[in-house]
Amino acid sequence: MILFEVFLNGLLLGGMYGLVALGLNLQYGVARILNLSYGEFFLGGAFAAFFSLMLWKLNPLLSLFISLPIAFAMNWLMYQYLMMPLIRRAPDQDGLDADVVLVTFGLLFVFQGLTLVNWGGEVRGYSFLSVPVNLGGATVALNRLAAFIGASLLALALFVVLRHTRVGGALRAITIDPLAASIVGVDVRRFSALAFAAGGALAAAAGMLVSTFISFSATTGVEYTLKALIVVIMAGVGRVTGTLAAGLLLGVVESLGGYLLDPALTIAINFSLFMLVLLLRPTGLFTRA
Amino acid sequence: MDRRTFVRGSAAAVGAATLPHVPAQAQSAPDKLRFGYAVTMSGPLAPGADSTTISAYKLWQKRVNDAGGIMLKKYNKKVPIEYVSYDDQGKPDELLKLTERLIQQDKVDMILSPYASHMNLASAPIINKAEYPVIMTTATTNKTYEQGPRWPYAFWNIAQPKASSGALSTALADLKKQGKIKGRVATVHPTVEYGVENNEAFLVAAKADGIEVVFTKSYPLGAADLQPLIREAMATNPDAFLAFSYPPDTFMLTEQMQIVGFNPQVMYVAIGGVFPTYKAKFGNKVDGILVYGPADASGIGMDEFAKAHQAMFNRVYEAGTVNVYSALQITQEAIETVGEIDRKKIRDVIASGTFKTVWGDIKYVNQLNANPWAVGQWQNGELACLFPSDKAGAKPMLFPKPQWS
Repeated sequence: MILFEVFLNGLLLGGMYGLVALGLNLQYGVARILNLSYGEFFLGGAFAAFFSLMLWKLNPLLSLFISLPIAFAMNWLMYQYLMMPLIRRAPDQDGLDADVVLVTFGLLFVFQGLTLVNWGGEVRGYSFLSVPVNLGGATVALNRLAAFIGASLLALALFVVLRHTRVGGALRAITIDPLAASIVGVDVRRFSALAFAAGGALAAAAGMLVSTFISFSATTGVEYTLKALIVVIMAGVGRVTGTLAAGLLLGVVESLGGYLLDPALTIAINFSLFMLVLLLRPTGLFTRA
Repeated sequence: MDRRTFVRGSAAAVGAATLPHVPAQAQSAPDKLRFGYAVTMSGPLAPGADSTTISAYKLWQKRVNDAGGIMLKKYNKKVPIEYVSYDDQGKPDELLKLTERLIQQDKVDMILSPYASHMNLASAPIINKAEYPVIMTTATTNKTYEQGPRWPYAFWNIAQPKASSGALSTALADLKKQGKIKGRVATVHPTVEYGVENNEAFLVAAKADGIEVVFTKSYPLGAADLQPLIREAMATNPDAFLAFSYPPDTFMLTEQMQIVGFNPQVMYVAIGGVFPTYKAKFGNKVDGILVYGPADASGIGMDEFAKAHQAMFNRVYEAGTVNVYSALQITQEAIETVGEIDRKKIRDVIASGTFKTVWGDIKYVNQLNANPWAVGQWQNGELACLFPSDKAGAKPMLFPKPQWS
């Protein structure tokens, strides 16, 4: 019975991992920008949710009306004015990666510093949907379940957009080959900026959902950038459904492994799986290569 | 002569005429007292450092300077405080460099404590060698027992592992003797030095006090889901659940225990349990939870301190800030007792005096705070200081912890 509960919680945990990685997959997969300041927008979503509930006594979901547009706009501006110059002058993807990593790393500290100065350094958390739910005899937290459902809906929405809309088609074309895409008439710059901005907005949405059950402070952004990066690399860059699946795998293995072996090993198991995937399938679990 | 020289000359003349007579070879008073500190301002520890340490430094400087400064008897003058501060980025070797810099290049008058156990410890040999007395305010580790005596200029302000874990063990043994609990305890801790040392100290004390530890496991710091661990602990049916935790897990354990309905009669969380944000999140469900390192309103001057803190930062103070502030009060009092910046004399005053501070009465024995508040409890939404139970202001323990519905 406990094993079933551990498995279920592993799924929910995995859903969280996938959720956190969705936005980064858009940013890295489509726009080809490895944004190290990604976690700061995640954190922005968390703070907005926190203030929404604790300061204005509103449902944290309502904070999305503020955090999503702001994250979208900021990321769009970042792409147009900070990333485009780098893209223009980079000789190849590797050169671009190097420049981008440095710039976004610096941005990380700028955002972190601003957050620290404006909102202080305390650890924050709030209670929302913090009640137990019985699923087939196992107890799970409603907020974690809600985040899982949110992750699934977002992944589904993203999947539908990518598969069944023209915008999605353009994004997929850019993911496969930006040059070829531009040749067939896709405005690469415009759609990459769109993908990048959407990725940032997804980060904020993820932050809002996760903040309902995990505490955070001004410097936890980096943690989530790292978590997202691991899932994106495991899934294979650019694969949306793969992102959720890779996250689920990670969550389940971590939970079960920790329970069956030793709780002290959960993070070691997490990274061991990551290393194993990198060794056996370096391009990611769900790529066709 | 030009206007500037005239003004200066006049001022000097007026000054000389109105100041009390000073002996011929007295120097003039410094116009600032320069306090140096290297504290973590970026990286994962920055939030804690800001909330606990840097806010205390800023508040103290404001309040002292608003009152004119620190009184230097030797010059019969109050001298305001000026800070020379650096970000050690959470890296010990960066801290070493910056501390050396404060001493050798900036030549500050006094140095203030860094943040976090390993950082406090790293700077101790340097400040000791340069003979700067420093009250270390955020170190709790067995190393202070082992190495503290080597550094006469380093003082340690908060409860060390034996004190806090020992207090818990004694409390549980008392409850067992009164027949209120069977004396079966489950402990968990993160696999970091703080967790390991405090857990170890508890195991040792429990053995001596006849308390049975039926479950003890660790988890990585930053674990995203502690529910399986809680289930395991719950299955052993303990009377008491002690978590030697850090803020993220302090919050998470408390939430997940409520989700699965784990309601031990005694519950302890460590770092973060005193945070106003912890109380804000859990509301009246914090009642009965034991926490590490409390401060309450009984210290001298706490009313004004709380108001001043609220006015400056627009938030309620955290207990850790009270501890750091008390060290600053002691430093100020020692300087004022000596009357000038004579660091050896200041050190001796700190080592031998008894001080009334916002954190209660403080006295150092072999440079360790003799009886800092080690364990407290949330009672009716306020923090109550429980142990050491013989310290002035100690309140009785609320038992059992109210059940969460």
